[in-house]
Amino acid sequence: MIREFGFPEFMLLIDGAKWTVLLSLVAFAGGSAGGLVIALCRVSASAWLRWPSQAFIRVVQGTPLLMQLFLIFFGLGTFVEIDPWLAAALGLGLNASAFLGEIWRGSIQAIPNGQTEAAHALGLNYLDRMRFVILPQARRMAYAPTVGFAVQVVKSTSLAAIIGFTEVTRAGQIVNNATFKPFLVFGIVAVIYFFMCWPLTLLSDHLERRAAIPNRSPK
Amino acid sequence: MWVNFKNTHKLLLACMAGLGLALSSANSATAQTVEEIQEAGKIRVGVLVDFPPFGLLDGSGQPAGYDPDLAKMLADKLGVELELVPVSGPNRVPYLLTNRVDLLIAALGVTKERAEQVDFSDPSATVDQVLYAGKDLKIEKLEDLSGHSVGVARGSAQDITLTSSVPSDVTLQRYDDDPSTLQALLAGQADAIAMSTLIIADIAKVTNVDAFEIKFPIRTLVHGIAMRKGNEELQTYINDFLKEVKQNGKLNEIHRKWLGVDFTDVEKPVLQ
Repeated sequence: MIREFGFPEFMLLIDGAKWTVLLSLVAFAGGSAGGLVIALCRVSASAWLRWPSQAFIRVVQGTPLLMQLFLIFFGLGTFVEIDPWLAAALGLGLNASAFLGEIWRGSIQAIPNGQTEAAHALGLNYLDRMRFVILPQARRMAYAPTVGFAVQVVKSTSLAAIIGFTEVTRAGQIVNNATFKPFLVFGIVAVIYFFMCWPLTLLSDHLERRAAIPNRSPK
Repeated sequence: MWVNFKNTHKLLLACMAGLGLALSSANSATAQTVEEIQEAGKIRVGVLVDFPPFGLLDGSGQPAGYDPDLAKMLADKLGVELELVPVSGPNRVPYLLTNRVDLLIAALGVTKERAEQVDFSDPSATVDQVLYAGKDLKIEKLEDLSGHSVGVARGSAQDITLTSSVPSDVTLQRYDDDPSTLQALLAGQADAIAMSTLIIADIAKVTNVDAFEIKFPIRTLVHGIAMRKGNEELQTYINDFLKEVKQNGKLNEIHRKWLGVDFTDVEKPVLQ
């Protein structure tokens, strides 16, 4: 009944890794779109935009991702057809929206007020002010925490296992339950995660270097 | 670490209870007759994929094992297409209650707590659960566990049984699955563990277990096919099906294939 760890078992892990990558990409893309909207709402002059976005962030940051996935899949799923893949993408995307929204709001608000005032003085409207003055500067500051959070997204995809989504951690569990070789199986899973996250940190370094302001002294 | 797990577990249980309540009112609407399943031409059966030999993934990543084989026989009898839906220990009952599967053939042990949420068929398999620990530990009964830590797979029938029966100063440590529970014993994180004899018979293959032995039986767990409550007709149909495959030897065939021994029938447990 307990079987050997062989090539088919290894391929189950690789197949799981494929789903981890896909889910991470979708969650991060959705989170970026949502996060930008949230960040802009949070710094908006209108209370009608500030309050709902603040409430959204409070709720999402204040409850475990595991519960959010569970409620979307089983709760929402009783009213509309929703498969594990869609529920996982939706749950992780909403979660990433809240966190990226806060990271980016911080970056936007770190831009000195003088920049906004100067843009006002030049007669730039809201869109142009954001697009040409504020966001390009905020972007530099946002690189490191954004990539840091992207690494977090990759790892939090493992929670999608609760709703029946077989990503690499769940695949590891399934293989381990059949082979009883935890150190081998989860060792391989850890190496797979490492090679997913390592390029992201390299990317972060690269982006930071590229965005560095030339006459500011390096650390 | 495991404190977190426990909290998560509690939250999950709270969620499930909430959902269960919300759904119990809608239950009558989701009642299912045999005719409805046959008209749909398809039956969705939740099976485990991480619990060999009852449910596992074969080399090509498809569900296989005793439970999937049983599901195949049932689908053949109904004359409908079979859709095997992989479920896991924690999410199998929610899958059934939220109508994502029609039946569970997912190594689901018949317990009183579960019978409040779902209806069970007659027994489809039995598993002996025992207490397993180091040879130097002197324990012969549950009371002797006093002051010790016992590892169990979280949400499993062993978990439910021991939670209600061990002395209050026993620390129950709940792990995700059987291999983690076994690892806790090997690593010295738990003094003893609750485990099925099926696994114990096999673990010498993968690790050195000379220092451990079976202490005493905890219970014989009876697996049943689970369905949403209030489907008496479907329940009768499934019980007739089980009676038939027990009599014509087909159940024994898959039992020998996956468990290596003959099937022994037992009475459906009386739950009070």
